[in-house]
Amino acid sequence: MIIQKNSVVKSSEITPEKIYLKRRNLIKSIGMISTIAPWGITFGQSKEPPKPLTAANFKTNSMYSTSEPKNTFEDITTYNNFYEFGMGKTDPYQNSGRFEPSPWTINITGEVEKKGIYDIDDLIDMNTLEERIYRLRCVEAWSMVIPWLGIPLASIIQKLEPSSNAKYVSFETVYRPKEMPGQKRRILNWPYIEGLTMAEAMNPLTIIAVGLYGRDLLNQSGAPMRLIVPWKYGFKSIKSINKIHFQEAQPKTSWNLAASNEYGFYANVNPEVDHPQWSQARERRIGNSFFGTKQPTLMFNGYGDEVAHLYKNLNLKKYF
Amino acid sequence: MQLIVKVLTLISLLPFIILSCKGFGYFSGLGANPIETIIHFTGQWGIRILIITLIITPIGHYTHYKLFNKLPKPLGLVSLFYIINHFLSYALIDQGGDVKIIIVDIIETPYLIVGWGGFLCLLSIGLVSFKKLQPWFNKNRSTISGITYTGAILGVWHFYWQTKVIETEPVLLSAIMLLLTAWKFKISKDKS
Repeated sequence: MIIQKNSVVKSSEITPEKIYLKRRNLIKSIGMISTIAPWGITFGQSKEPPKPLTAANFKTNSMYSTSEPKNTFEDITTYNNFYEFGMGKTDPYQNSGRFEPSPWTINITGEVEKKGIYDIDDLIDMNTLEERIYRLRCVEAWSMVIPWLGIPLASIIQKLEPSSNAKYVSFETVYRPKEMPGQKRRILNWPYIEGLTMAEAMNPLTIIAVGLYGRDLLNQSGAPMRLIVPWKYGFKSIKSINKIHFQEAQPKTSWNLAASNEYGFYANVNPEVDHPQWSQARERRIGNSFFGTKQPTLMFNGYGDEVAHLYKNLNLKKYF
Repeated sequence: MQLIVKVLTLISLLPFIILSCKGFGYFSGLGANPIETIIHFTGQWGIRILIITLIITPIGHYTHYKLFNKLPKPLGLVSLFYIINHFLSYALIDQGGDVKIIIVDIIETPYLIVGWGGFLCLLSIGLVSFKKLQPWFNKNRSTISGITYTGAILGVWHFYWQTKVIETEPVLLSAIMLLLTAWKFKISKDKS
């Protein structure tokens, strides 16, 4: 049996605020130059630095955390897929300044005892946050290592008391086209919807994150709360959740609706099942050396010990 | 006239200069995934300039302004320059120059097969632009424009196919390519 060992995060591991602010200023001043430039790259948006978390002390859950080198705060917060803010990798960073993540409520609906509209603080006890350093594997064959702060989704679900009819749980991203410019075009069927089976949702690896690197989530990272399912492709880990729905039928998820032959409901990281347009056998770890070769992708993103049993009787080639 | 051609050619090289500056950290740098930035940037500008080059011919055909006959060759070569960089950054940096891995990757990835085909077409056209091959070039103009068009169509297809959702630019370029091809067929029909 593995005994869970918690260790306090060293303050040296967190990007110091001064350096962080300096970087911001540098980016801003470069932005001013580039706005004059004719090819239209604008980095003009200035943003407040993230507020420190309400929880002063959090512990790293070392049982579920990787010891691989973490990506920098800058990489994690400037290279995102968050189509609500645009399709480019830097769009979420540049276009999310108008998004207002507080106050925040979550609507709990469906096959569940404690339905209702909850304030985020009523759903998540900020004093019980723990750090999980997880690999994140994007369906586009790149990956990062990110120190999330959050709580197990199971602990939230238990509080809500789902009925025996609840076979699946689905999540919705908030729909605010005024604050999320990407939602003005129907790139996807807004609001973004993702879902898990109850067993997946209750797995101890599945968390709801509210922060990373010891700080509140920035808008581009899915503020104020998002799902993290580390053994599935990144698009399953839905951001800025304002609705959780318990249901008997399999949820109709956004990417699956957009292209069902490319993105399955399960979307488990699987090096043996290629995307129709590209191979999933290898991945580029962001932040590694420029000339570094790609690394092999691991089954279930390396979390097989924790989750492989969920899919024992499932043909993963068919249910990709 | 010669000066205008030179100036326009230099302008078409501007994106490359910007990319180089990005490599040194200016203009917001290359971002978290530098190799992806380089591959996308060179590919995107390669196809844009190629399409602009192809649009110039019909304009020249109707306006009879000499500049439009002088421009396609230098602009086409600039486009090829971007596309060669596009391919080399993929092959040498992204795939680490490993020929076996590259071949497997291309075979496994449909949009790469298409892109590779387009690249070979355009590369062969670039080669015949050498002075020594000029007589051959002049004799086989229709073949050459056929190969160029095939290369451009494959290039746009490659661009379109690697996007995850329908994006404006590949759709726009596809529409332009469709019109250009239709025009080309009309012209060759008129001639015969």
